[in-house]
Amino acid sequence: MYFKTTAEHEAFRAQVREFAESEVKPYTFLWDKENEFPREVVKKMGKLGWLGVPFPKEYGGAGMDAMSYAIAVEELSRVDGGVGVILSAHVSLGSWPIFAFGTEEQKKKYLVPLAKGEKLGAFGLTEPNAGSDAGGTETTAVLQGDHYLLNGEKIFITNGGEADTYVVFAVTTPDIGTRGISAFIVEKGWPGFEFGDHYDKMGIRSSATAQLLFNDVKVPKENLLGKEGEGFKIAMATLDGGRIGIASQALGIAQGAFESAVEYAKDRVQFDKPIAFQQAISFKIADMATKLRCARLLIYSAADLKEHHEPYGMESAMAKQYASDIALEVTNDALQIYGGTGYLRGMDVERMYRDAKITTIYEGTNEIQRVVIASHILGKEPKSAAAPLMKKAGPVTGARKKMILKEGTAQERVNALAESLKRDGYDFTVGIPIDTPITKAERVVSAGKGIGEKKNMKLVENLAKAAGAALGSSRPVAETLRYVPINRYVGMSGQKFMGNLYIACGISGAIQHLKGIKDASTIVAINKNANAPIFKNCDYGIVGDVAEILPLLTAALDTGEKKPAPPMKKIKRATPKKERPSYKFHICNGCGYEYDPSKGDPDNDIAPGTMFDKLPEDWVCPECAEAKENFIEA
Amino acid sequence: MHCVRNVTEDLYWVGANDHRLALFENIHPIPRGVSYNAYLLKDEQSVLFDTIDWSACRQLLENIEYLLEGKDLDVLVINHMEPDHGASIEEILIRYPKVKVVSTEKSFMLMRQFGFRIDSHELVEVKEGDTMSFGKHTVTFVAAPMVHWPEAMVTFDLTDGVLFAADAFGSFIALDGKLFNDEVNFDRDWIAEARRYYTNIVGKYGPHVQALLTKAGGLVDQLKYICPLHGPVWRNDFGYILDKYQHWSSYEPEEKAVMVVYASMYGNTEAAAQALCAKLAERGVTNTVLYDVSNTHVSYLISETFRVSHIVLASVTYNLGIYPVMHNYLMDMKALNLQNRTFAIVENGSWACRSGDLMQKFLDEEMKCMTVLNERLSLASSLSEDKEDELDLLADAIADDLKNS
Repeated sequence: MYFKTTAEHEAFRAQVREFAESEVKPYTFLWDKENEFPREVVKKMGKLGWLGVPFPKEYGGAGMDAMSYAIAVEELSRVDGGVGVILSAHVSLGSWPIFAFGTEEQKKKYLVPLAKGEKLGAFGLTEPNAGSDAGGTETTAVLQGDHYLLNGEKIFITNGGEADTYVVFAVTTPDIGTRGISAFIVEKGWPGFEFGDHYDKMGIRSSATAQLLFNDVKVPKENLLGKEGEGFKIAMATLDGGRIGIASQALGIAQGAFESAVEYAKDRVQFDKPIAFQQAISFKIADMATKLRCARLLIYSAADLKEHHEPYGMESAMAKQYASDIALEVTNDALQIYGGTGYLRGMDVERMYRDAKITTIYEGTNEIQRVVIASHILGKEPKSAAAPLMKKAGPVTGARKKMILKEGTAQERVNALAESLKRDGYDFTVGIPIDTPITKAERVVSAGKGIGEKKNMKLVENLAKAAGAALGSSRPVAETLRYVPINRYVGMSGQKFMGNLYIACGISGAIQHLKGIKDASTIVAINKNANAPIFKNCDYGIVGDVAEILPLLTAALDTGEKKPAPPMKKIKRATPKKERPSYKFHICNGCGYEYDPSKGDPDNDIAPGTMFDKLPEDWVCPECAEAKENFIEA
Repeated sequence: MHCVRNVTEDLYWVGANDHRLALFENIHPIPRGVSYNAYLLKDEQSVLFDTIDWSACRQLLENIEYLLEGKDLDVLVINHMEPDHGASIEEILIRYPKVKVVSTEKSFMLMRQFGFRIDSHELVEVKEGDTMSFGKHTVTFVAAPMVHWPEAMVTFDLTDGVLFAADAFGSFIALDGKLFNDEVNFDRDWIAEARRYYTNIVGKYGPHVQALLTKAGGLVDQLKYICPLHGPVWRNDFGYILDKYQHWSSYEPEEKAVMVVYASMYGNTEAAAQALCAKLAERGVTNTVLYDVSNTHVSYLISETFRVSHIVLASVTYNLGIYPVMHNYLMDMKALNLQNRTFAIVENGSWACRSGDLMQKFLDEEMKCMTVLNERLSLASSLSEDKEDELDLLADAIADDLKNS
């Protein structure tokens, strides 16, 4: 065996390197500084056929191997980690699942333009409550005739907003964990599909990362990727391959920093010789080079296994974990070699140091990589005595009424809200000063980023006065936009609201914000995005534009000059009705035994989360041995 | 002497009444007795539908002998093998050696398990949809598994619309001469005991009753008589009883009403329960009932819990737990699969009050669709004057929820 890339590989590497040096390198500082997505570069790479490197020519690809793909990501990342991940997310995450699991029609329609570089792809799995644990996925897809109705949000999505085609994961059978997840191909521009926050990241700032918002998005039935319930399997298989891309990205970033540091060390003279020849530095360089070689061999070996259709899940996890871990070490050492010079903005090692960090986090944290590797070695964990009960996490703010006012005109909805609040015991003839400290306030009207321009703060202030409330805000409104002083922001890390009425205007409901208002007796949400988490955490909600709703609500609550409020009396929280689980129970005709999918039948190796129709055909009632067909639905 | 009544021209009630049995199934008190119903059809063949409890077997034998006028009994149809109906089977087989027995597979298995010697007789095993003709009358058999035993079936006489309903539509209370639903004031005198019978005996099997009601829905146009194995024969006003069954088997309350159940050792929790009822009445909530859990047989509590929409559980803490009788009531409620109710909790404890949390946990985790109001009244030994605000809040919450439910 000869551990060396072929001449073709090296020729391809030279081609990509030349492109990166001439088309990418001159702009890296600007893109990093301005958070700018290099659309032109992506277009050019498409024309060169690189967006379809590992896909067969019949699907518009370049027909090259997995190793070539790894080399391409490595070489781009060597110059700019952000550009590297654009390619990696496009190929591994956005295109590969369609290649591996798509029907012929889906491949023709979606893979071909992706591989040809006419379209850009992305992948949407992560959610606020589903990071490493996809079982927490809350985005739902409900089949309605010839289409699915998609609702929910995805966060931290690479290429989000820039991509045209998204592979999105959503729950089609609720309450059964990962088995209930399905994959869908979703196109940018479909009604109800919008992009939320574009993140202001620490590194890889030339890549776009955004929040995906789905609000009653109609996804045609034929855009289901694989079968219903196969989503988790598809996601895991995709991430197996995706790790090769991220490992290559990490390797490239580290390689770039290494080369830069070696150049600098040879040039920089201290104590009458280049510091490269000071043993402290030369040993550092030796260690860096050793780590890079280890990482490179791990990556190429995993890519080769994949290319030859051998199992590679563990090897790709090892490659991703190791390459990203050493990328942090190598970039750190590179910056150390540069000394104070490397600490300055504009120095490539400074950018690479920041760029490297994400590689130990995304597409499976390195902790998860170790879980994957360990599970390949150790197999399944022995069953614990008691099977875990599937418990869905409730809203962050606890049980809420969740009465979303949808009927009628804006005026009618506002009137209904005002009436409900009065019925709940709120007296709007009394009020507290607008500058009452948040922790002491009985009522707070709060502004979020959704209020838009600063002049709209006047609307929020007017509402606060009319509602007899103090003024508050979400964290970004105080910290980034600086519309209000920093001590007005409400949240776990800011001020906690303990009073009765909280009116959230244009606040989407980040978890840390919701945790800061969980003691509120009544939460009112006004936001134009119907899928904003705040609506799952509110007692009353109006979906609408703050510019329209706030003046109406201000008028509805306004009673002129407010009398001073009496000492606060905590208003009791409404009790929401217990909801029925979304899955069905089945009952035995022979004895009345009830099969509960959330419990399964652990004595007979049926895992919790197994739906009745997924029970094996030879499963019988554990109490009386009646056959499966002699059960009725409860 | 015989004691029979005509149901139709050729169908007779040949059962018996029992006032001596104190506890039905040796668990539920039956102060007003119970009837064991069996029916004899005189067609070209004579057919006995079910038998009765062993304690009244003599009456059954005299009734049959009188009606058969010396002839043989040809067919015995067993819809339900529970011993309050099946215990006299062997005696019938001994007296009528030629009788043919018609029942389900599981029923024959149970007969053998109970030790009846049936194998010298012709045994006809029937399934859902089978029909059988006795001359003028043709009947069809409908499986009724887990209403409330697995072997149960009901038999429908296609000729004159008689449904032999097994334990479905049955009731406690002895008939004492009357036979038909319109010969008694059912809504005044019987419904509570019919409910207590259904909820405690069949309550757990709501989905199976629903399945049977759906099947029966297809027969409803032809239905003329419902002949249950206990209580009156229904020959009109089917909507009334079907509506009750619909509520009970879907675990929906019959009416907006509040039931206060208290567990009190020395009268302090009782006093709080009384004060709450008064507060409710002040708010116009007068459809309330109050029960002392220690002095009320749990079968009555279960029955009432199926009727009402709101339940207040007021319990002392006992050995750091729920008062045992109250706990027993909750466990019975769970065993009977009751769902869809709203609860309020009053807890009492003199040094470590635990009963409220434990009752809430039980309702939340052990049962389905039970809502517990946030407002809770917590007492330290007794209801003190300074608790009036809390009591008012609780009464408000119950009254509001009742109004909005």
